[in-house]
Amino acid sequence: MPDDTKPDVTKAIPKIDLSDSIREFSRENSDYYVESFSQIQDSDENVTPWNKAALLFGPAWCAARGLWNLFWLFTIAEIVALVQIGRGLWGDLGAAKLAEAEQLMQRAQEIRFEGGMAGVTGGETASSAAEIAMNLEVAAQAATLEAQAAANLWWIYLLVGIVLFGVLRYVMGKYGNRIYELQYSAWRVNRKIASGLSTKRLAFALVLLIVMVPLTLYRFTATTPVSWLVGVPVSNVYYTNSANALDSWFDSTAEAGAGVFDGITAGAQTALDVIELLLVDAPWPVVAVFLVVIAWRVASIRVAIFTAASLLYIGLLGLWEASMVSIVLVGAAALFCVGVGIPLGIWFSRSERAYAVARPILDLMQTIPPFVYLIPIIAFFGTGRVPGVLATIIFAMPPVIRLTALGLRQVPGHVKEAAVAFGATKWKILFGVELPLATPAIMTGVNQTILMCLSMVVIASLIGAKGLGQEVLTALQFVAKGQGILSGLAILFCAMMLDRIVQGRFQRQEDQ
Amino acid sequence: MNNDVVIELNNAWKIFGEHAEEAMQAVNSEGLGKAEILEKYGAVVGIADCSFNVRRGEIFCIMGLSGSGKSTLVRHVNRLIEPTAGEIFLLGEDVMKLSPTALREMRAKRIGMVFQHMALLPHRSVRDNVAYPLEIRGESKARRWDVSQHSLSLVGLDGFEDRFPRELSGGMQQRVGLARALASDPDVLLMDEPFSALDPLIRRQLQDQFIALSEQLHKTTLFITHDLDEAIRLGTRIAIMKDGRIVQIGTPEEIVTNPADDYVRDFVQNISKLKLVFAHTIQVPFNQYKPMEGEDLSRSPRVSQDVDLDYLIDVAVKTTQPTVTTDENGNDVGVVSKDRLLQGIRDGK
Repeated sequence: MPDDTKPDVTKAIPKIDLSDSIREFSRENSDYYVESFSQIQDSDENVTPWNKAALLFGPAWCAARGLWNLFWLFTIAEIVALVQIGRGLWGDLGAAKLAEAEQLMQRAQEIRFEGGMAGVTGGETASSAAEIAMNLEVAAQAATLEAQAAANLWWIYLLVGIVLFGVLRYVMGKYGNRIYELQYSAWRVNRKIASGLSTKRLAFALVLLIVMVPLTLYRFTATTPVSWLVGVPVSNVYYTNSANALDSWFDSTAEAGAGVFDGITAGAQTALDVIELLLVDAPWPVVAVFLVVIAWRVASIRVAIFTAASLLYIGLLGLWEASMVSIVLVGAAALFCVGVGIPLGIWFSRSERAYAVARPILDLMQTIPPFVYLIPIIAFFGTGRVPGVLATIIFAMPPVIRLTALGLRQVPGHVKEAAVAFGATKWKILFGVELPLATPAIMTGVNQTILMCLSMVVIASLIGAKGLGQEVLTALQFVAKGQGILSGLAILFCAMMLDRIVQGRFQRQEDQ
Repeated sequence: MNNDVVIELNNAWKIFGEHAEEAMQAVNSEGLGKAEILEKYGAVVGIADCSFNVRRGEIFCIMGLSGSGKSTLVRHVNRLIEPTAGEIFLLGEDVMKLSPTALREMRAKRIGMVFQHMALLPHRSVRDNVAYPLEIRGESKARRWDVSQHSLSLVGLDGFEDRFPRELSGGMQQRVGLARALASDPDVLLMDEPFSALDPLIRRQLQDQFIALSEQLHKTTLFITHDLDEAIRLGTRIAIMKDGRIVQIGTPEEIVTNPADDYVRDFVQNISKLKLVFAHTIQVPFNQYKPMEGEDLSRSPRVSQDVDLDYLIDVAVKTTQPTVTTDENGNDVGVVSKDRLLQGIRDGK
């Protein structure tokens, strides 16, 4: 059977007429765009009708037609091309090499002079100085030659610049219409997208070009550009004054609140001492057995074996005490983070406004480099374990807050509704429905917090917290690679031990 | 108030949106419609002027398409949604006047609710899910276990009490939902599209099971569904909703034989009338019937005038004569010819 018995469906489908909407979109020179867009839309191949305006005016055309991404792309590329042309035409191409040659010559003269002085007293230093000076002079001559050669290659710069510029404009002219057609398609669904040819946009673009192009050209082609273009011309007085003001504020606050800060330090110190007494001063076999049994009971036999292996590693390498000190530090910080973070997360899951205020603070806590807040912490709390724990808390608390809030928000509304329908109070819903259903998210937060706490032990040791961090720190100071890696691994094992035990508790609940 | 009325809604309105109060006033003073309220106040009318009574022991079905406001309506009975205007009575008590504590008490003791998406607690065993309402009420553990066991056996889930909900199929999970609703031995069952998410075969099974349970327990039930077949199978009476309004309330037969408007007529068009229409609806009075040639009413089969069309067909296929219907005393009251029967099967009257 021949194919033509099948009715040709494509012929039966009426063609839609886009010309009116293309006219509305392009406004100026609309006939041309109706023509070229329909060429693009009708063809199966990549037909690209030339856009003379894009070819001639380049970035200015892009801006006038509202293609800002393209404007920036081509403006930067064209400036690069123009800089090459500028360097070829009037740039001092050998300048860098000449300066180098001059420097070498100067150094050679100096050495010669010093050698001459030395020659008065003893022979050998003088002759070696003469030799060095000679070598330097040879290098200087070579640099001078290179400079001349570079200056003679000006036409390469010119050629590269012209070719690059030409290629850019060719691309613009060739593909301008296609890109503009994409803009049209986007505009059809979103009328906020720029359409037509706007003189305002054009004027703005011209101002930008007039500021950017000559300044950049001048900066890169002048032999010695004026200094205010090279660096921002300000004295450091603002910086110093602001820093001084902050300094005195910190000092006065630390002084005024000395009682409070000392109280906090003393309280925390006592708490840490008690825990440390348990883990560090207790006989190591007791602690080891205790940890392994905890791991087994709370998590699983596998976690217990892992814990035993980690403890063996730590014990054999003599890092036992340091590890226990670190675990105390991390444990205290993590406990505080979880104890305060989960209630905060619950609050933030309920109050959109509180969360909106807290979110930037949480961002700050997570992104600001710890070194920045270590300084004020030292001002307020001095050095030692307590400020170390505080710094760790600042760094490690956000994940558990965020993930608690997220987990609670993701509890399906219909489950909560069912609890309400059976007469549950808010507290019963929170503890009986919301928190259990949010447990996976909360546990992920706890996990993140524990790991982040451990990643802080090295930084905390900078302000006097002892433990594994200090081992790493001394290793760093003496470039002791082996010591660094071994104590680093001990940190890793401590982290995994703590995390597996805590997670194991939750895993077991899930498996039931 | 009639003692027999368990749930009563009078002129309940729910308007969603920031300007619900103003919109409500505009409705009262100017009688604005749904579209005008949306345009003028940016408020959405959930339910509009809904009134109905549910009598003791009755299964009252509310049937409507998605967006008709039926799920919103059922949530007014236990005030999961606060009405913008109107009165709600449950067991003679004004639900709107209850304090938060009294409301919680009513929800815990008087009302059992079943949800479309089951809404079981995934971290609790089936037993603890069923016992959840009792736990909220602070019952002892032994009592919780006894009651949940009994409740699970009512829905035929003996032996599944120590599983987790996720280990059960969808149909079984919904039975757990039903058992949970029954656990607190409530006066009222609110069922919000309980079988909609299940596949047709399981849905049918659960409907049968629910009918059997209902006959056994006589729970007053407000049953929400988008499926008219389901409403007809289960409902003592049916309310049909459209755009937040109740367009008709009646027994399945009334709805099918006498739809209030075109909207209801469209719905009932394809519903099988065989079990819903009875001989007395389609019969021609005995003394007005003119026998055709060859017909002899004395040789006709005799059936009660209260039999349904399904039964009439069984009788009619065995004879060449029209069927004669009788009243409770055995007197001939009407005649159903085969023509009349065919018409009745199609039109329901």
